[in-house]
Amino acid sequence: MTAPLIELKNVTKRFGNHTVLDRLNLTVFEGDITTIIGKSGGGKSVLLKHIIGLLRPDEGDILINNKRFKEMTRKEQTQFKRQTSYMFQNNALFDSLTVFENIALPLREKTRMREDAIKSKVMAKIDQMELSHEVIHKYPSQISGGMQKRVALARALITEPKIIFFDEPTTGLDPLRKNAVLGMISHYQKKIGFTALLVSHDIPDVFFISNRVAIIDNGRIIFQGKPIELEQSENPVVHDFIRGQINLKDDLTGLNTKQEVMDLLNQEMDRANRLQANFPVIMFTIDNMTQINKHVGYITAQRIVQCLSTLLKEHFGAAGTSARFSQNEILMVLPHTDIKEAEKDLNELAVDLQKQEIFQAKSYPKACLSFSVSAGLSETKQGTDTDSLIGQALSNQKIIAHVECIKQGETA
Amino acid sequence: MKKYSMETTVGIFVFIGLLCVGYLTVKLGKMELIGGDNYTLYARFDSVSGLRPDSSVEIAGVEIGRIGKISLDSERYMALVMLKIRKGIQITDDAIASVKTSGMIGDKFIKITPGGSDSILEPGGTIVETESAVDLEELISEYIFGGM
Amino acid sequence: MQTGTDYMAQATNAVIAPFNWLGGLFVAFIRELGAIAIFFTHAFCLIFSLPLQVNKTIQQIFFIGAKSILIILLVGLFTGMVLGLQGYYTLVKFGSEGVLGAAVALSLIRELGPVMTAIMIIARAGSSMAAEIGIMRISEQIDALDTMDINPIRFLVSPRIVASLISFPLLTAIFNVIGIIGGYLSGVCLLGINSGIYFYRIESNVLMQDISGGFVKSLVFGIIVSTICCYQGYFTHMRPGGFGAKGVSLATTSAVVLSCVLVLIVDYVLTSFLL
Repeated sequence: MTAPLIELKNVTKRFGNHTVLDRLNLTVFEGDITTIIGKSGGGKSVLLKHIIGLLRPDEGDILINNKRFKEMTRKEQTQFKRQTSYMFQNNALFDSLTVFENIALPLREKTRMREDAIKSKVMAKIDQMELSHEVIHKYPSQISGGMQKRVALARALITEPKIIFFDEPTTGLDPLRKNAVLGMISHYQKKIGFTALLVSHDIPDVFFISNRVAIIDNGRIIFQGKPIELEQSENPVVHDFIRGQINLKDDLTGLNTKQEVMDLLNQEMDRANRLQANFPVIMFTIDNMTQINKHVGYITAQRIVQCLSTLLKEHFGAAGTSARFSQNEILMVLPHTDIKEAEKDLNELAVDLQKQEIFQAKSYPKACLSFSVSAGLSETKQGTDTDSLIGQALSNQKIIAHVECIKQGETA
Repeated sequence: MKKYSMETTVGIFVFIGLLCVGYLTVKLGKMELIGGDNYTLYARFDSVSGLRPDSSVEIAGVEIGRIGKISLDSERYMALVMLKIRKGIQITDDAIASVKTSGMIGDKFIKITPGGSDSILEPGGTIVETESAVDLEELISEYIFGGM
Repeated sequence: MQTGTDYMAQATNAVIAPFNWLGGLFVAFIRELGAIAIFFTHAFCLIFSLPLQVNKTIQQIFFIGAKSILIILLVGLFTGMVLGLQGYYTLVKFGSEGVLGAAVALSLIRELGPVMTAIMIIARAGSSMAAEIGIMRISEQIDALDTMDINPIRFLVSPRIVASLISFPLLTAIFNVIGIIGGYLSGVCLLGINSGIYFYRIESNVLMQDISGGFVKSLVFGIIVSTICCYQGYFTHMRPGGFGAKGVSLATTSAVVLSCVLVLIVDYVLTSFLL
């Protein structure tokens, strides 16, 4: 693991008599996506504003590259500031400037780039964010909330910063766009390699893209570590917190939450062990998610996930309980069926899935892309644990639906 | 284009504004654009009461210059008035400078009555013969006795 | 004994309380003025930081100056016409309606031009300056500038101060000229004063001193109006008792009131120095 990039030590901040941050400790590592979750009004935004220097702590230290922020020279502080970008909760787009001017502003003000160079750079970012070219001369108040978010993201990315702070990047978006924005952040983080610090309460969607999670409660960090560590955490406060915050259904897919499914799986495996009755699990994976993102957009990618989950519910109904396992994986537990029946259902599902419009190559006339959905069955046996069960399901995966790249002109 | 029209408007605004500033300063404020079109003469008066700097200097009712500084000649206890006369207008050394009033209670100005001498006053020279400001009382008595 | 000292303390409190209140008010006022002065110095120094913000300044001149021309023309014309009428009926009593031109021009150039122009610009541009910057503050746009390492004072306030310094004298000059024309309309065209006398009186009575004094006033007013309106907007979030839209509305109101009052007070002080 790399050295900590940002470290907060015993940071305290009070507004009047109200203590917002109470001797808070947090570490952010370089190249990670770190997510801070917590109740609203719990001081998440205040925490971010401390790191970028908009607010100063009453007590405690903020260390950047092991150097105290308040002891840094003005030049060093400026240099740090230039490497960062901040995406505000309500976007904070300049409403008297057009979309183009908004994105170009950091370049125009802080670099000596020529106007045509700025223009081509901004247009490239606009294309990347899938904003249409008609939008660029509109004002922020004339475009939809989702577009505003993308414009804000474009403005944050345009300076190619090393660290980006996201203050609730998905608030106020519908589930499809929410996941699209998160996908976008994760995609660019992998591509450009910046360090990201997110503040969010979109659990569990945000876990899929985070390397580290920190929970803030009553002004203190009660947990920080990997998402997997969080799920396995024995700390009752943390457990309760996650239970309280998590939605009962996944917004995007309408599936159950991962926690629920894992609980069910554990419970059923116990029962199966006792009664010697085995049951199957199926693991679905959408391959080539990055290519989908790249060629046809983040929203389409999320639509595929949505489509798959709708069909799952249709075909398996009450027999199966399924949940998003990660960004492109869905785990399904079928406690009261046997493997034969599951295989039959799976085959029917495959036929149906291939018929969907979204799996037709001609739905993507402009792009040449291939992607597929794989599914893998595995059955519980005496003494297996969940990890090996899932591992086996993954290794059994076969492609059940796919889209092949078609060259233009061949089919038409 | 929008940008073009904004800059044009600003240009028109600044132009009109400067025109007005020009009118005020040059025409009304009598700002000397180039300082060199005047020369200076001096004149001593017993009294210049009511005369103000920048009042006009006239010959035969035509303005030929303006009054500059008014100071006290502390040796003779007389008023020393600086006259800024337009170049090209020659004043002879026997000209008479008198403080006059325009109208009954109007402004004071200096009237120069040209003389007949051949010698012209050089810049910085002094007009010797002067008539001081007329007293209002004196004026009224003259009016009453039909002297006007 | 206990009650005796209590009574004494209460009596002392009652005497001290009004002084306390007055002192608190005064200290707060001085502190506010000091903060505004620092704010202005900051913004003024940043005017000269390179690269110069020519485009933004032109935009602001467009907004503060060019867009105010019509209202200034209208107000100036009617001010001049009213001065002509009032002046005529006052002067005709003394039989000296001939000096009407001088009366109109001097009152315009020395007093009404700079003051009326300042008040019109406060109403038109000052209020919107405060509101615009206030909204930028509450919607975190100023914080956003800060995170982009763009100095918000340089970006928002400095161009407005420069634009005010350019626009105020120009608008004042336009106001004066149109006012003199207004006086001409009512004095000469309506009431029949000789037009030659009208202009002759203006030319002979208006001194350079009057005109430069008027311009000094308008420059000072430009600084006052732009600084106060920007200051009120910039620190919208610091206002006690008003958040969000309410805060912006309070900031706008106090920007307009405070700058109007200060313009009139400073006008008095300047006049007493200039005369």
